[in-house]
Amino acid sequence: MNTIATASQQLAFRTLTEALLAAPAEHAFVTMWNNEDNVHTTTFREFTRWAYLQAAYFREQGLQPNETVILIMPQGVALMTAFVGAILLGAVPAILAYPTFKVEPSKYRFGLSGVSANLKAKLLVVDASFPQDLLEYIRVGDLCKLVCAVASPDPAAEVGFAPRAYDPRQLAFIQHSAGTTGLQKGVALSHAAVLRQLGHLTAALEITTGDRIYSWLPLYHDMGLIACFMLPMVSHLHVVMQSPTDWVMRPASMLRLISEHRCTIAWVPNFTLQFLARRVDVEDRKEFDLRSLRALINCSEPVRAASMDEFKAAFSACGLRPEALQSSYAMAENVFAVTQSATNRSGMPRRVWVESQAYYRDHVAVPVAENSSGSLCLVSSGECIPGNEVRVVSEDGCDLPHGRVGEILIRSDSMLEGYYNRPDLTSEALRDGWYWSGDLGFCLHEDLYVTGRKKDLIIVGGKNIYPQDIEEIVSSHPAIQDGRALACGVFDPELGTESIVVVAEVKDENQLQDPLPVEQAICNAIVAELGVAARGVYLKPPRWIVKSTAGKAARSTTREKLLAEHPELSSG
Amino acid sequence: MTKQQQQMIDYIGAKVIRRPGMQIEVDTPLVSSGLIDSFALVDILSKLEQITHMRIPVGKVQAKDMDSVRSMFATAARVGKPL
Repeated sequence: MNTIATASQQLAFRTLTEALLAAPAEHAFVTMWNNEDNVHTTTFREFTRWAYLQAAYFREQGLQPNETVILIMPQGVALMTAFVGAILLGAVPAILAYPTFKVEPSKYRFGLSGVSANLKAKLLVVDASFPQDLLEYIRVGDLCKLVCAVASPDPAAEVGFAPRAYDPRQLAFIQHSAGTTGLQKGVALSHAAVLRQLGHLTAALEITTGDRIYSWLPLYHDMGLIACFMLPMVSHLHVVMQSPTDWVMRPASMLRLISEHRCTIAWVPNFTLQFLARRVDVEDRKEFDLRSLRALINCSEPVRAASMDEFKAAFSACGLRPEALQSSYAMAENVFAVTQSATNRSGMPRRVWVESQAYYRDHVAVPVAENSSGSLCLVSSGECIPGNEVRVVSEDGCDLPHGRVGEILIRSDSMLEGYYNRPDLTSEALRDGWYWSGDLGFCLHEDLYVTGRKKDLIIVGGKNIYPQDIEEIVSSHPAIQDGRALACGVFDPELGTESIVVVAEVKDENQLQDPLPVEQAICNAIVAELGVAARGVYLKPPRWIVKSTAGKAARSTTREKLLAEHPELSSG
Repeated sequence: MTKQQQQMIDYIGAKVIRRPGMQIEVDTPLVSSGLIDSFALVDILSKLEQITHMRIPVGKVQAKDMDSVRSMFATAARVGKPL
């Protein structure tokens, strides 16, 4: 019988090292899938030994406790053991994104240069295949040493290392916030904060030793690092993993791995659901068995009812239980989850239909009957997990009643220690014990509904428009490439308010020879659904919109590109 | 130019660039010139696997390895494994 790994079990561990060392040695920890012929499972014993070898090697290279170490390695057990090896040594690791064929070289170099300069690391750890031409963009200073990690554990090597005891309040690692533009911020987290979060998450999800996690999520992102690496390490669970690029190349592999390994929990950003429903052939779906999946958690992007419904319709025949589709609101600054929908309920996360005019005009969610005319459907991100509280406040920081949209503030016992080397950003974000998230949303009953990013909001004549709502309408036009539309606000001095401008990529460049019918149809659809008119719809060739390393539209960069091509927009 | 390279050029012209009148050659820079962005490489890699009958481990491929049709096939020969 499965025993529940209770919250108290995680809380009993003082450090991540203690949690790892308490794991059942012969149990499988990580199954890494590279392709059908290259799948390898590492037990907790093998993992720990490899991590010790990494720690001993880092110590030989001069790394000291409390010093930072940058890890830039491909997704896999070598990276994971290097990360834990640094922690065993009492050092503070930070994983940065590994360059892949998918990443725009110039954008990657820009991000790498800024993030590495802020970390002031003493050791930079790469793998033997790291592109030499990118190394010059890592600004680590003269005191930093470049080394290759222990690529595979030598079975004959003696493990001459014993982990040191350290204070749970000490920094465990730095994870980077998932910013899509500019420089990401290094979020510094203590052992105690990470363990408290994992304790709460375990309780909220009712994790048992019978659970098995599936992940394609990158380890430099909080969903990949915390939910799919730290959680199984501390709760002693088995995780089945592949790299993000392997998954993007072969999306169906995710469903195959869940089927084969009987995985029970996975986290995905919203776009994954739509992507899988559209990319996986109907014929191939017959081979999947998704009955084991009890929680497929939609997280890290605004949760969309249409995406969840599309996935449910596509994979119900594979045994997917509708109640497996769940949601969560999470952020690196809180280690991970703030809210989680109830995975023990019989249905999907709560939905509310709200009157659209009041929602856009007055920033208030007025519930109306399901599917009623002029309504829009919003999906809850769940209730606060234990140890977490949220408030929704107005511009001037006053608490708003339920149903009123405002900025989401968070208080928890797993909050960041601060942004690494950025006290200015820390004091701006953390005020009187509350973290100002920059996200907008509202509370209704016990649930939190996240509606978008504050900085992305377009305000047209006092009416609040979320770019994601416009983009969903634009993307539904058959001439537009799915997911390749972006809406932004441009100040109109004539009107004294913002105007909506839309840029969208056509599927076929021939359509640009006569763009007017499509532009007009899109304008009409926006007016019909949102009651506001777009000042301009600009159709562009495929791949015109700038994307970030995370695959999301880089809003500010794309907006600048549009304004540069259409200076008339800036001049009003 | 090999038949396979021509097949890839036809595919990129018709399905990726889709710009009427745009000609690409076997050595035309694609990513570094901005003709295609690196996100298009997912589809191009799938096509490359189909044309060469090779499984290409994506972890061993960088954007520069895919910058021209010639370098794509060289990459497939270097890291690919027969299907």
